[in-house]
Amino acid sequence: MRLEKCWFCSSTVYPGHGIQFVRNDAKIFRFCRSKCHKNFKMKRNPRKVKWTKAYRRLHGKDMTQDSTFEFERKRNRPERYDRNVTENTLKAIKKIDKVRVDREARHHTMRMRGKKTMEQREAAKELEQSIHMVKAPALLQQEPSLTLPKIKVKVSQQLSEENRMEE
Amino acid sequence: MAASSASKLFRAGRSLLGGLKDPNGSIGMSKDLPRSYLFSQQQRTFIQMRTNLKVVDNSGAKRVMCIQALKGKRGARLGDMIVASVKEAQPGGKVKKGQVVYGVVVRAAMQRGRSDGSEIKFDDNAVVLVNKQGEPIGTRVFGPVPHELRKKKHVKILSLAEHIA
Repeated sequence: MRLEKCWFCSSTVYPGHGIQFVRNDAKIFRFCRSKCHKNFKMKRNPRKVKWTKAYRRLHGKDMTQDSTFEFERKRNRPERYDRNVTENTLKAIKKIDKVRVDREARHHTMRMRGKKTMEQREAAKELEQSIHMVKAPALLQQEPSLTLPKIKVKVSQQLSEENRMEE
Repeated sequence: MAASSASKLFRAGRSLLGGLKDPNGSIGMSKDLPRSYLFSQQQRTFIQMRTNLKVVDNSGAKRVMCIQALKGKRGARLGDMIVASVKEAQPGGKVKKGQVVYGVVVRAAMQRGRSDGSEIKFDDNAVVLVNKQGEPIGTRVFGPVPHELRKKKHVKILSLAEHIA
């Protein structure tokens, strides 16, 4: 029994699932489900289809190089059954999976850092540029505290509180 | 359908004619593939009477037409034996055009289920000519063959094959 990888989306194909397509040049394509199979028949390139692992790896969304991937390499040599080896392998698989998942989570956080500051900057810019969609420009000139909260304006305390509530 | 063709025209117009609003402009640039999509939704079925098959050994025949599928009410599948008539043959081969021969289906476009639950299918329909006992007439077999042949006792064909799928 062997767990294969889907040619299109790179997910594992468990026994009993999927279709194998053998081309006349003896290249075998395995698909996990008909979605991948149909996309293949449409001649779509998995590197351009956003939800596949190939695309994600190519565009740096997922980890590409890691030492945990070395453990999953395909081996064609059959091993003699040894109970201890099997037990240790099963334990190791669990640990390796945990390590890999942790590293992927870290990769994700590294990728997403700086998002908050960027969002704040964009929000400030939008406020500066598009405030006319929310309030009429004539009104803005009367109460300039409506534009950016940072701008200190000589306005009575009551008025500024009112405006803040309006926002 | 109308919406997609309208959008196609729009795209073609914008890229090729660059601003000229010509509605009858080149539809030749079909970016999305609705036509080939329909094409690839073929329903693959059994190998029955009148099915043309490719011959993948060096017995001399090139194309063969199935006359009868031995075993199977609806037709032959991967690994089954058929009776066929040679439609096209190479000039100096062991078989001649018009001859009635037996063959074993080694590649079928229709998927066949395997015992582990997966399914396998090939690109085309191909056959290896055999005699009544099941021994191949030719001496070489081209292309991949499935290992369903082992169960059907066509071991000789497997031994001649270059690749077993």
